[in-house]
Amino acid sequence: MSAINNNCEYIKKKQINITFDGKIYQAYEGDTIASALLRNNVRLVGRSFKYHRPRGIYTCGIEEPNALVQIISEHNEPNTRATIKRVYDGMEITSQNRWPSLRYDFGAINNILSPIFSAGFYYKTFMGPKGFWKNLYEPLIRRSAGLGKPPKNFRSKSTHQHHNTDVIIVGAGLSGLIAAKKFLNTKYKVLLIEQDSYLGGVLKNSNKVKSINGLTPQEWISETEELILNSKNITILKNTLVTTYNFTNHLIALEDKFAGKKIDLNKSELTLHKIRTSNTIIANGHIERFISFRNNDLPGVMLASSFEKYIHRYGVVPEKEPVIFTNNSSSLSLLKKLISLGCKPKAYVDSRKKDNIETEIKKFFKNNDIPFFSDAEIEGCDGNKKIESVTIRQGKSFTKINSSMLCVSGGYNPDIHLFTQSKGLVKWDKNILSFKPDTPFQKTITLGSTSGNYSFKKLCDEINEKLSIFKTKKVSLDISLNVPNKFSIKELWETKKKNNSNWSKSFIDLHNDVTTKDLKQAITEGFDRIEHLKRYTTNSMGTDQGKISSINSLAIVSKILKKEISEVGTTTYRPPYAPLSFAAIAGRSTYEFYDPERKTSIHSWHKKNNAIFEDVGQWKRPWYFKANENETMYQAVQRESKMLRENAGILDGSTLGKIEIKGRDALEFMNLMYTNAFTKMKPMTSRYAMMLGEDGMIKDDGIICKVSDQHFIATTTSSGAPKVLADMEEYLQTEWPHLQVYLNSITEQFSTFNISGPKTREIMMKVFPDIDFSNDAFPFMTFKNFDYKETKIRIMRASFTGELGYEIYIPPKFGLELWEKIFSCGKEYNLIPYGTETMHLLRAEKGYVVIGQETDGTVTPIDLNYNWMIGKHKKDFIGKRSLSRPDTSREDRKQLVGLSPINKKDIIEEGQHIVELKELPKKIKNPIKYLGHVSSGYHSPNLNHSIGLAMIRGGKNLLGQKFFVTVTGKTKNIPVEIVNPVFIDPENKRLTS
Amino acid sequence: MILIKCPYCGERDQSEFTNGGEAHVIRPTNPKSLSDKDWGEYVFFRNNPKGIFYERWVHSHGCKKWFNAVRNTSTDQILKVYKVGDKRPDLSDFENTLKSPSGEPFVGSGNFAVKK
Repeated sequence: MSAINNNCEYIKKKQINITFDGKIYQAYEGDTIASALLRNNVRLVGRSFKYHRPRGIYTCGIEEPNALVQIISEHNEPNTRATIKRVYDGMEITSQNRWPSLRYDFGAINNILSPIFSAGFYYKTFMGPKGFWKNLYEPLIRRSAGLGKPPKNFRSKSTHQHHNTDVIIVGAGLSGLIAAKKFLNTKYKVLLIEQDSYLGGVLKNSNKVKSINGLTPQEWISETEELILNSKNITILKNTLVTTYNFTNHLIALEDKFAGKKIDLNKSELTLHKIRTSNTIIANGHIERFISFRNNDLPGVMLASSFEKYIHRYGVVPEKEPVIFTNNSSSLSLLKKLISLGCKPKAYVDSRKKDNIETEIKKFFKNNDIPFFSDAEIEGCDGNKKIESVTIRQGKSFTKINSSMLCVSGGYNPDIHLFTQSKGLVKWDKNILSFKPDTPFQKTITLGSTSGNYSFKKLCDEINEKLSIFKTKKVSLDISLNVPNKFSIKELWETKKKNNSNWSKSFIDLHNDVTTKDLKQAITEGFDRIEHLKRYTTNSMGTDQGKISSINSLAIVSKILKKEISEVGTTTYRPPYAPLSFAAIAGRSTYEFYDPERKTSIHSWHKKNNAIFEDVGQWKRPWYFKANENETMYQAVQRESKMLRENAGILDGSTLGKIEIKGRDALEFMNLMYTNAFTKMKPMTSRYAMMLGEDGMIKDDGIICKVSDQHFIATTTSSGAPKVLADMEEYLQTEWPHLQVYLNSITEQFSTFNISGPKTREIMMKVFPDIDFSNDAFPFMTFKNFDYKETKIRIMRASFTGELGYEIYIPPKFGLELWEKIFSCGKEYNLIPYGTETMHLLRAEKGYVVIGQETDGTVTPIDLNYNWMIGKHKKDFIGKRSLSRPDTSREDRKQLVGLSPINKKDIIEEGQHIVELKELPKKIKNPIKYLGHVSSGYHSPNLNHSIGLAMIRGGKNLLGQKFFVTVTGKTKNIPVEIVNPVFIDPENKRLTS
Repeated sequence: MILIKCPYCGERDQSEFTNGGEAHVIRPTNPKSLSDKDWGEYVFFRNNPKGIFYERWVHSHGCKKWFNAVRNTSTDQILKVYKVGDKRPDLSDFENTLKSPSGEPFVGSGNFAVKK
């Protein structure tokens, strides 16, 4: 066996070195990995997915099911198709799915055990006993799953690009180029996309076409490309693969910026093109399919047109003396080329009857003395890790021929993948024995072999007719051919085996190791619907999506079911057409660009002062501040909480959402949006308010400042701000367009500091000596505006800790300076910074709820005992009617209560259940009565015992009763007493002090 | 990814929009007068037909305006867009798009890709 080089204009005779499995091979610039390996007579390139069978290079393009390799020199990129990936000097490649080496693979034992790995193996085998799944099967499957190994330390640099065009032409083969020619210098903006680095398609993959308009195919391609490049309206994208065809003519294409070059780590390596177009022209050709026979997966079996493509496109003849096996008329050009190169096929096996075979072919065999078998088929082939011999069946006689390569052609499928993705309908064509596009759903036109037209002669007419909807000129080309153009095919999907053995296999899906026997077995077991059958057998579910075999499997299934293929139908074609890397989809949205971080104006101070941050939405908020290296979170929070109630603390509340509501009808609007009544509220006062959904459930809360009847400022929760603004906007636009109200998000316009604790007043007086902070001049829940330096600030008296407190609003530009001033003034009063965790503890002590912690979308204000917040005399507000529904008025709804442990040393854990049992049974047989759950649990440093807030069924009427709270990992529960949820200062003396 | 024509901005990518469910469900002006059942109908029940559907969209990453659209839910074709307050188009305007009795269109469903 040996390959020879052929002259070829696409390959530069510049020698480069590549490494495959540690061995250095010489290749030419322009080679793919596959062509380079074939040039070096490397046939074995990988191991199969399930049985670890030796596999070689089967095709010469995107349809490759076998030759998947790992590119070590490109972030260890796995599952790369060797048939399309171009090489460069120093490229490092390894084979996949083998251990310890490609030649001696331990996993090949699966091949011997193969009778048990039949269809549905996973579903049938890994059923029990209990615990085996978690401990044995899953780790085992995970270890053997997949082919390549995932990349390491990977950092993608891919980008996205958007296009808006009138016409997109997918594929720059003969049809695509003719179509492009029609659009030359017209008013249409055209995008011509080609997956290869050269235009021309079939013209450069074979020598079927002799000349076009008197020019050689290559001359004609160059001339056409020149014309396109000089036109103003057509853009060519090479090395670009259209993977997806969505609704409304939205296509996605992936461009490899470094095809055949070493990746520059500073540049974008992939570009994902997102294309909107008015019309799509699909001219991406056809894909050859194989035929199933015994051992049709042995290295050395190759599709005939791929073999031909290696000769013309890459200048390598993989084998001088192959055997050719076909059921159609397409292989004559390959035969002619081989003879012209001084090669001679060992045999030509045609399944068609002698009378149906073209006389040109028959004559050609006679003249060149090629062994010719008509009405014959390949029974199978044999060999160790490569083909050594093939067995031909002709009638009842068998002929064994020694050869190392077998070219197979089972016919051609129009590449309908994109057309069906676009939701077009396909139809079975008896003449070509394949599906071809029928009714488009979008503005889609298919040309040439994509539309099922295999005739070069009729091509121009077809294109002129189909593109007549555009204002373009007619093109006519004089295409002369080297071979007759009539296509004839005989139905043949699988050849019969001589002996039936459990170990002899004829594959239908090479990628996922599905055999024709698996299809039969699945149907026997009742999976006779093609979508079920596909999933049960994993047929055509590999990364190649069964491009060379899926029609074959439909045909075999239809034969078993005794149905027409169109009755069996196809499985759904889904994007992408070929795998595209996640890096390309992610584009620049990775790492720091994935989700923006929002930081307050005080962030740098927090970092300097050892804050540990918590993510709240996109915001970074200080969670707690570490007093020293060794302080744990628990210690820090206990310290902060105690210090605040003794002295004072300050919280950076800048992340709180702030919405400004202005306009003639602002008062009416606020009365409708919130539960509270704002009409009688005095200007320059504020109020804690709640917003409900129409179902009566709490959505958000915050403090509402009333400047006047026409001007309100609402605060929201940190993460709820965008949703609240959007909801307000929705009601204004859709339900109450008559209200004159304007909304504005001012969250980022103000830095907000919440300062609270018994010593707060002294600190505030020191920071703002001109302001009167006395209780009479500045009572609880009022706010005032002041001039401060060259800016304005707003101070509100409010508190979320239960202590005397103020909130300061200041433009962020001045935030840090004021914050630092507060600290220098507060030093003598032991002012401390505190984080969100301490805030949560303090508010729990005070019995204040947190939306999303105590509430979960099923809680009404009545459940929280917040009836005082509901404007009962208001005619309407969002959710009001729902508060009197039978369900919301139930007595046994979960209601907010406080929990106090009877044994003061017990710890109440958040999220635990509240039950009536002192101890849980060791083995739970019957459901245990569940009363509610602990929504917040903390150790209160101020009460010196654990406290909890809980939502308990009918909780309001259970005050003083004793229940039990479950404990993680224990059966013994802790006894608790149901108490008022306000643990500290129930009379609000501190708040109003 | 479908293309939606915002009545204020023009054609934009679907990713700029948010769907707001069924259109022309009017909030009762006097909820108090409604029975529990009627109020429940308003709050919890929406139509979800296969075929022609009147629905609301908001250009949330654009002009933030709400508008209405008529969409064929089985093919995802947006047949008409119109502003809030505009008259709702008549169902008969779109009759041609729903030929098959089951509501399953001849064209446009991945489950029936092959023409018989």
